[in-house]
Amino acid sequence: MSLPLHLRSYREKSKDELTRDFYNVPTQSSLPGPSDPPSVVKLRERPYKNGQEELQSMDINAVISVEGKEEVYAGRLSLLPPYLCFISLDRKSCRCTIPLYTIRRVERLNSRAGVFALSLATWHGMRIILQLTSLLPTAEHFAILLRDALKSQLSAMKQLKPFLPSLYSEFLLSSPVSTATGQQQTNDLLLDAESNDKAASSSTAAASHEGEGDLRGPGGEGKGIYQRGLGEQFGFPGDARKMRERSKMKLWREYFMIHGRNLTLLRYPPFQRLLQVGLPSRLRGELWEVMSGSVYLRFANPETYGLLLSQNAGKSSQSTDEIEKDLNRSLPEYKAYQSEEGLARLRRVLVAYSFRNPELGYCQALNIVVAGLLIYMSEEQAFWLLEVLCDRILPGYYSPSMEGTLLDQRVFESLVHRCLPMIQEHFVSVDVQISVASLPWFLSLYINSMPLIFAFRIVDCVLAMGVKVLFQIGLAVLKINGEALLEVTDDGMFINLMRSYFATIGDSAHPDHPDPRVRAITNFQELLVVAFREFNVITDDTITAERKRLRAIISDEIEKFSKRAAVRNLKNIGKFSKENIGIIYDHYFSAICSPEAGPSTYTSNFSPGDQFDQPRIQVDAQGRVETRIDHRTFRVFLSQIATWAREETVTTNAFMQRTDRKVADHELIDRLFFAWDSQNQGTLSLQDVVLGLNRVMTAGLMESIEWFFELHDKDKDGFLTKDEVIQLSESLLFIFRNEPGDIYLAAVSKFILNAYEFGDATAPEGSVDEKAPIDGDKETASGARERSNSSAGPHNLPYLNLATFRMVVLADELLENFFANDLTASFQLVQTEDEDYHQAHQKSEGLLGGLMNLVVTNENKNRLNRLADGFGSALGRHAEWRKPALSKASDPSITPSSSSDLRARESLLTPAQQAGQFQRQRSASAVSNTSTKTTDTTGTVTPEEKRSLADVELRYREESQMVKAAQEAVMHRPNFAIDAIGDSDDEDGDEPEEGDDAGVMDEVEAFLKAHGADDEGLKGEQKKVAEDLLKAEPMGAKKKEKETADLVDL
Amino acid sequence: MADETPVKAVQVKLVLLGEAAVGKSSLVLRFCQGDFNENTSPTIGAAFLTQKCRLENRIVKFEIWDTAGQERFHSLAPMYYRNAQAAVVVYDITKAASLEKAKAWVKELQRQANANIVIALVGNKLDLASDSSSTSISAPTATETPETPTEDEGTAEDGDSVEESTPTPPVNNESDDARQVSTAEAEAYAKESGLLFFEASAKTGHNVGEIFTEIAKTIPFDTITPKPAANQTGNRRSAGNTENNNVNLGDGQQAKRSGCC
Repeated sequence: MSLPLHLRSYREKSKDELTRDFYNVPTQSSLPGPSDPPSVVKLRERPYKNGQEELQSMDINAVISVEGKEEVYAGRLSLLPPYLCFISLDRKSCRCTIPLYTIRRVERLNSRAGVFALSLATWHGMRIILQLTSLLPTAEHFAILLRDALKSQLSAMKQLKPFLPSLYSEFLLSSPVSTATGQQQTNDLLLDAESNDKAASSSTAAASHEGEGDLRGPGGEGKGIYQRGLGEQFGFPGDARKMRERSKMKLWREYFMIHGRNLTLLRYPPFQRLLQVGLPSRLRGELWEVMSGSVYLRFANPETYGLLLSQNAGKSSQSTDEIEKDLNRSLPEYKAYQSEEGLARLRRVLVAYSFRNPELGYCQALNIVVAGLLIYMSEEQAFWLLEVLCDRILPGYYSPSMEGTLLDQRVFESLVHRCLPMIQEHFVSVDVQISVASLPWFLSLYINSMPLIFAFRIVDCVLAMGVKVLFQIGLAVLKINGEALLEVTDDGMFINLMRSYFATIGDSAHPDHPDPRVRAITNFQELLVVAFREFNVITDDTITAERKRLRAIISDEIEKFSKRAAVRNLKNIGKFSKENIGIIYDHYFSAICSPEAGPSTYTSNFSPGDQFDQPRIQVDAQGRVETRIDHRTFRVFLSQIATWAREETVTTNAFMQRTDRKVADHELIDRLFFAWDSQNQGTLSLQDVVLGLNRVMTAGLMESIEWFFELHDKDKDGFLTKDEVIQLSESLLFIFRNEPGDIYLAAVSKFILNAYEFGDATAPEGSVDEKAPIDGDKETASGARERSNSSAGPHNLPYLNLATFRMVVLADELLENFFANDLTASFQLVQTEDEDYHQAHQKSEGLLGGLMNLVVTNENKNRLNRLADGFGSALGRHAEWRKPALSKASDPSITPSSSSDLRARESLLTPAQQAGQFQRQRSASAVSNTSTKTTDTTGTVTPEEKRSLADVELRYREESQMVKAAQEAVMHRPNFAIDAIGDSDDEDGDEPEEGDDAGVMDEVEAFLKAHGADDEGLKGEQKKVAEDLLKAEPMGAKKKEKETADLVDL
Repeated sequence: MADETPVKAVQVKLVLLGEAAVGKSSLVLRFCQGDFNENTSPTIGAAFLTQKCRLENRIVKFEIWDTAGQERFHSLAPMYYRNAQAAVVVYDITKAASLEKAKAWVKELQRQANANIVIALVGNKLDLASDSSSTSISAPTATETPETPTEDEGTAEDGDSVEESTPTPPVNNESDDARQVSTAEAEAYAKESGLLFFEASAKTGHNVGEIFTEIAKTIPFDTITPKPAANQTGNRRSAGNTENNNVNLGDGQQAKRSGCC
């Protein structure tokens, strides 16, 4: 049973990470740090980190324009080294992410006063003009940071040249064929591709070597070494003619000429339209990696994929086995996957990723997704896109607990509830879960749900616009089928309805309409229109907010589910009730998650080849994964259960009373650990722990004596050596360490004395009478006689057997009582607060919530505690004492007999000792109880003293209650309307449509013409400025020419 | 009761559970299409199929949820088995661990699913056992507890014509026999837990139809309305046992008469 440990270590993404995600720029966290190398291959850090300190990010307002294009956009420019990113104010018209290593020249432009403008020239000569519209000093600061960032990219610039030939767009643009003869070109390419495929298909290394040729020269025969998918060899799905591949390719070529290509691609409004009519098959793979940002990873880590494969060659793991089983079930209808070539590629990508991310390994559905990717992408391209998918676009979808999938299904349900309440209500009334149909949609990006040609168009949009597209499409599917859905009465009808809808998605949406243009609209086009028009209210923010709201619920559900399963799968639950087993599980689980259990070893401490190399996860005999705890974690676990396995310090000062808990450390605890480790694995499973606890918690007097004896009998020969007797005494003293008074110390001393006396008498030398009944008094005398000679003997010889040990224990009333009651009772199963852990720990949102989170941190709590302690001691009211382990156990309510038994012994103490004892022992009710019981024999505590103590205590209680009330007031906060999620719901509702529907319906060309002019660019003055800038000369004196420029002159 | 209108099909929701690659999808495919395909279409979450089954007095329409076997899909399973009237828990007779997983599924179903759910335990890949009627007892067969009810033994053997629980010592003919789970072991477990029990082969089609026919016969159609699971765990246990006895008694003959598909 492996437990979902990672849920507790989840944290929301920071603002910086979100920004990076938005621009598809790799974040620091997505690449493992040096402390936890992934498999063998060490991924290169983000290039700018090479030995230098981190370069600064910066945002600035700017206006962007590009040579050859009229539109000018105002927006936000972000320097996220080593990338420069821009987003227009409306957040959709213009957007780009430019790696700095593609920039050859940066110049400050000589223009009108007050305008700070930079001209960026990319390696292929595209000029981007950026007006920094902030105040001059800010703009200058930005320019300086930009310069530093550029400098750091020197080495990366050199890698650009060998990298470029791997991109199809370079090949496309390098061919001399004019656009007029587009058809010719496509045909050429087809032939070209087929002839070249064998050479280029498997080796990416070859590609980088051949890149020495002239990049911009004609792409003649043999030059087409770009990375390509299976489609070029086995044919792309769909009819190329029907899909207007040629026209699309021509349009993209034109688009590339002006707006940059691959790494330098700018997203201008035509991009969105070209995207939504479906990407051309040949360009699809490259655009996928560009739009998703996976191309940056491929660029920065050119050897990783090959190394992962070569270093893990021949290794097998559970993941590789699972992959093998699914290979033949991955788009088997596509020709390539009926061939060894196609299957081999699929296998390599999945296996490489399973070694790259052993924690995730392999998840069914990835086979489908990757099979889809490989039609359009090379192995290496698909590998990196898979990384981006699992890591950023679909986080947690394929992880072992699939929490991302479960979460997004819940989010989807909540969006259905919000957007399509009638359907939601109907489904609730007939008890059908939407997830039964929608789960595979999300998990396979619709690839498994609808015909491939349409599914890939959805993938296009997902990779360009993010995961919200999955939701928008899903909602649109439900909405379009709304009427039929209201007739659904069970799962089966629902599934069949969806199935037949997807089967006819290529058919006309209005087959009987008189207008042929309308008739030509397919169901799929209608779907896109509905998705992007009616559900454009679903934004990234909506998804983020909903995920945030629902995550805690999902996490708790997953934890409860695995708890149920873990408890159910226990083979032996001893005499425990189900509830108690549940409590044990909670402690077990929270111990693993506890920071005291050491570094979070469960996150990423893998070694290659085996995903179960994590310290606490093992594979059991049946090949199943199991979570186990090591001895450090066990200490934490035991401290939660056994009263003596923790140090509880009660601090009282003038302001509060609090109890601090620490994990105790003693050999005894380790002894228990090894005693419970039934299979000598060095770790304990939940089953081990349950059986161990079962023994100690159900033990009576004799059984307790026995297990305690065995615990110290290291070689299990039935005898303790003299050393072991001492160790046993130490264990007893450890348990008694915080008990009041000296009675326990006295008892243990007497125990040692007696043990030696009896031991001498019954040691194996004289083992004849070992089992004979022994009269205590007589033996004491004889033992004392022999002690002088035998105690000098070797300390590691068998010495004391169980029978004798038992006798020695029973000779002492206190010890007898301890083994009869206290020891067993010191193990206590108290419900943890872990029920609904995530919901309880969910951070409140909103302004006040954020402030609260800032204030109520653990550190601040500690600070407050220290402060209070300081004041308390200044006022002379600071007191600390250790909570005793057993006085709790001997609380009258639990074991009424035990405390009264202490009376006789306590009477031996001097009055002064007892008074001192009470000073220290003010807290527990057990103590006051003892004191009343002992007054008759002692009578030393004067009434005055008692009263003053009571006084003090009363006052403390009042004060601490006040503090508590204050704390509660702070902790509790009402639900503010302002916090309510989903305010964003209506914001975008009135955005003007850009006529997406018309665009989809029209021919591609007509579509572009019709929409050429109505972009939301800047008008008037600013535009004029921008136009001027395009013609402006670089500033002579202040020319910011980069020293690097010539080096990368391509 | 529904018996008066035999023409009308009664819908039964059935869910298939079991470890990955034990052949759940193949069994369903064999049942629904009479087909065996080495490369079945992938199962994401669960595949959904339907098939009708004709009994003497009624037609049963199975709505089959064929769930994904990979461990990480486990947490999705409740979505599919809730409200199910029948479950087929599949293990692979050539993989001892798959029976352990099957037992875990049975436990889960008995606690979490419908109170009246009919569960069938099916050992698949019988074609891989060298002699499908012999019983080689594999090494780790410690689960044959003495408290296994013995009074039903006779009837059970009468009913199941295929399996003869031969008390012969373990036969070590591993060269050609991939079997790791003995019939006796699985059957004993099934009986103890009140399950229907079959060994089948999706590849040859052996016993596949019988599984579904027996399930159809066993489902208590008069109490078809789903009941909360927590309601009557104890009752159901005993009810399951009696059902099982009935099935074993009637098994061999009637199964053939009411041909399926």
